[in-house]
Amino acid sequence: MKKIILSIFAMSLFVVSCSDDDDSITPSEPLGAYEDGIIVSGEGSFSLPSSVSFISEDLMTSENQIYFNANNETTGGYLQSIGFNDDKAYIVVQDGTIKVVNRYTFEKLATISTGLSLPRYIAFEDNTAYVSDWGDPNDTTDDYIAVIDLTSNSVISTISVSEGPEQVLEESDKLYVSHNGGFNVNNVISVINTSDYTLETITVNDVPDELFIDESGDLLVLSSGANQSWLTPPVETEAAITRIDLSDNSIISTLEFSAGQHPSLMAYEDGMAYYILNNEVYGLTDNATSLPTSSLFGTTAGYAYGLSVDDNQLFVTDAGGFAANSTLLVYDLASGTETNTFSVAVGASKIYFN
Amino acid sequence: MTRIVLFFLLLCFYSVAMAQTSTDSIQRLDEVVLSDVKLQRYAKGFKVTVLNDSLIKKNRSSFTDLLRFNSTLYFKENGYGMVSSPSFRGTNASQTAVIWNGISINSQLTGQTDFNTINTTNFNSVVIRSGGGSVQYGSGAIGGSIHLNNTLDFKNHFNNTVSLSYGSYETKNVNYLSSYANEKFSVNIGLNYLDSDNDYKYLNTDERNTNGAFTNGSVNANLGYIVSDKDVLKLYHQYFVGEREFSGTVSSQSLAKYDDENFRTMLEWSRNGDKAFSKLKVAHLQEHFKYFGNKNTENYTFGKVNTYLINYTADIDLLSHLKLKPIVAYNYYQGSGSSFGNPNRKEFSTTALLQYKPNNKWEYGFNLRQDVTSGFESPLLFSFDVAYDVSKYYKLKLNGSKNYRVPTFNDLYWQQGGNLDLVPETSYQVDLGQEITYKNAKLNLNAFYINTTDLIQWQPNDTGFWSPDNVAKTQNYGIEASLDITKHINAHQFSLQSNYAYTVSEDLESKKQLIYVPYHKANINLAYSYKRMSFFFQHLFTGEVFTTTDNLSGPFSSVDAYEVSNSGVNYQLLKTNSQQIDVSLKVNNLFNTAYENVAFRPMPDRNFNFQIQYKF
Repeated sequence: MKKIILSIFAMSLFVVSCSDDDDSITPSEPLGAYEDGIIVSGEGSFSLPSSVSFISEDLMTSENQIYFNANNETTGGYLQSIGFNDDKAYIVVQDGTIKVVNRYTFEKLATISTGLSLPRYIAFEDNTAYVSDWGDPNDTTDDYIAVIDLTSNSVISTISVSEGPEQVLEESDKLYVSHNGGFNVNNVISVINTSDYTLETITVNDVPDELFIDESGDLLVLSSGANQSWLTPPVETEAAITRIDLSDNSIISTLEFSAGQHPSLMAYEDGMAYYILNNEVYGLTDNATSLPTSSLFGTTAGYAYGLSVDDNQLFVTDAGGFAANSTLLVYDLASGTETNTFSVAVGASKIYFN
Repeated sequence: MTRIVLFFLLLCFYSVAMAQTSTDSIQRLDEVVLSDVKLQRYAKGFKVTVLNDSLIKKNRSSFTDLLRFNSTLYFKENGYGMVSSPSFRGTNASQTAVIWNGISINSQLTGQTDFNTINTTNFNSVVIRSGGGSVQYGSGAIGGSIHLNNTLDFKNHFNNTVSLSYGSYETKNVNYLSSYANEKFSVNIGLNYLDSDNDYKYLNTDERNTNGAFTNGSVNANLGYIVSDKDVLKLYHQYFVGEREFSGTVSSQSLAKYDDENFRTMLEWSRNGDKAFSKLKVAHLQEHFKYFGNKNTENYTFGKVNTYLINYTADIDLLSHLKLKPIVAYNYYQGSGSSFGNPNRKEFSTTALLQYKPNNKWEYGFNLRQDVTSGFESPLLFSFDVAYDVSKYYKLKLNGSKNYRVPTFNDLYWQQGGNLDLVPETSYQVDLGQEITYKNAKLNLNAFYINTTDLIQWQPNDTGFWSPDNVAKTQNYGIEASLDITKHINAHQFSLQSNYAYTVSEDLESKKQLIYVPYHKANINLAYSYKRMSFFFQHLFTGEVFTTTDNLSGPFSSVDAYEVSNSGVNYQLLKTNSQQIDVSLKVNNLFNTAYENVAFRPMPDRNFNFQIQYKF
């Protein structure tokens, strides 16, 4: 059960934008069936395997279980995230494997498993990948970043970090890692210099998760705040959106949410961060000095579990009760109207643009 | 009150008779006199099926297999030997009660019993009681109950049985059963050790079940002592310790491991008084598990519950045709675990069972129960049953009941998400049975309807936590048929035993079939014996089950129907008055069929098991 409870995190960093304004160019040989469109990954559930869904860029067709269809095997239990690099996609599965596939056909090229325990997210720099790993989730001291050589697809070294490293973002030879704390609560962002693996930390509000670089080159962090109502006495701390100046790792601003509010999904595009709170979508501009008081629009999701934004469209996954397929809801950002819905993978949590 | 003594004598006689007839290799379900008085006396209008010890020994591989091949119960087994949970008439695992010598042993943590943590070889009989039994057996007896019974025989004897078996995947089993009695004292002991690499090949792939090994040991020790003409003391004890790797799925290997340690001790004092036959039971049960997410580390999570119970009951003949059985019981449950603090629960229950038999054709039962439980309110429960002998060949049985399932410790206290506002699931049901007996053939036909409300389901809530709530309403209905035929021609003995069930189990809101409930399930057992040689063949059909609530077919939303067969042969090498040696060979999955019980968790390929058994 704990595994299920864990997975309340969303969105990835490695958004590769669509190219629908390239229509005038003479069409070239297609690279694969999934070349242009939306990739939605689903964690699966306690009893259902994870899977990957595809929706064509024009939102006309969709296909579920594309990895299974290409390879006749499942992606296993608890697909955490997918990273995209050059022509490959790296499917990070919590059972301790990363499946390397051709991102356009989803045909498997390699599997990385040695040296991984409970991998969460992946980031790339040149020919190296960095994977956050919780180690044994019950052990608070064995968490690490696995360094993977992308030629040999093997873990070549590890960098010890504090409890619960979650999202990883690479920017100018530095890795930024949000530590949501895994099974526990943590409140730091690790900054790792990729040339010598030296490490600094920045303290933010509890349970930092979503990371983006904004238009000014600052780091944007969504902390969900601790919400351990079962402890005696209960522990509850404020969620916040924190902006960090990457030149000196100083905090520019911390916009705290009201007590009792614990947003966990955020997306970012063109100077605007979008987050979901109680099924309402809010927009926060880069220069805002306070959190918005009114929402942009509401969603119909029963249980919003994934969020992404692309080309003035907002994508939300509704995981429902994790007992059947999820629903991908597509909203027009300008009007807030729901334009499309698709039946996608069970426990759909991440939305990427191929 | 001599009839009570008679009852015990009859019981002894019966078990001897069973032992003697068990040499014919008949795989049959039979109705016999039962050790549990409630089962014997107060279930006339219920379908009660007994799997006797010869059948248990034939299906020695596992409790799950015993019931899969010999009843209408459906099992969701996470790969061979892994967690195995039953569905009885389309209900879920926590709505099937497992009763050990009259008391419920379902986990207080999960509400269910993992059937792969029970070794059946050490029991004299396994009884399947179909239909609601909460009045008699408490929480969880909604679809039905499975009873594990040990009987103590006071007739002079000293019997020993040693069985050794070896089979595929380095499966080793050692079993020793010993039974001794004089007129005052009776003891039986069962020791069982089972070890298997369980690394079967996943058919049609290059993979094996690499993390599925298990080892377990169990001890059953039962003592009976006749203190005086009126007083009998009995001590029942069962201990199970198991270490299991938890296998992964086809494309996702696992490193998980699960340790179980359960023990159950019950002291029973029965007194055959002038007015009533009364029994006082005190028992201590302990369940304890450790879950290792990675078997190579020392990190684990655990759960542990101690149950202390005291139970008083009397069998009173109010009139010659009217029997009353009041029961008062007090249970105290004390839990501890990684994911909750140290919760406890107190439960006081009063029950009255009434049985009326105005003549030889009609029998009526009417039963009431009220529990007072700390933490939530329990509903008033009732049941009624009628049995009518239409003719020598034809019998009608009808029963109806209100039953319940209380929230488990996990449901209430799990950190995070446990919900203290839960109420018990409640269920109404009716069951109509027909029993046709003609010569050596018996046909049972049952139709049932179950309506359950306030079903507890775990779902993500507004704050993103998974939390249980009383959300769903379901209805189950269906029919069951079982046919049992035996035939003797000179030294040749034939038998056929077959079950079929059609089950609809649907969510009343979505009108969809619940996951992991097959519409169709059927099995057939054929046996033949001639002199020292016996042979059996068994075949199981399980229809397609859905794995997601949208009722779609396909690898990600359903598990295909499958058919699987086992076969075996037994030969008596030696047979004297005091000694007997049997050798047997069993082939499981005879036709090497690739099948799954649970999606992406393949079951074993064809495998063999050789056994030698020495009785003295």
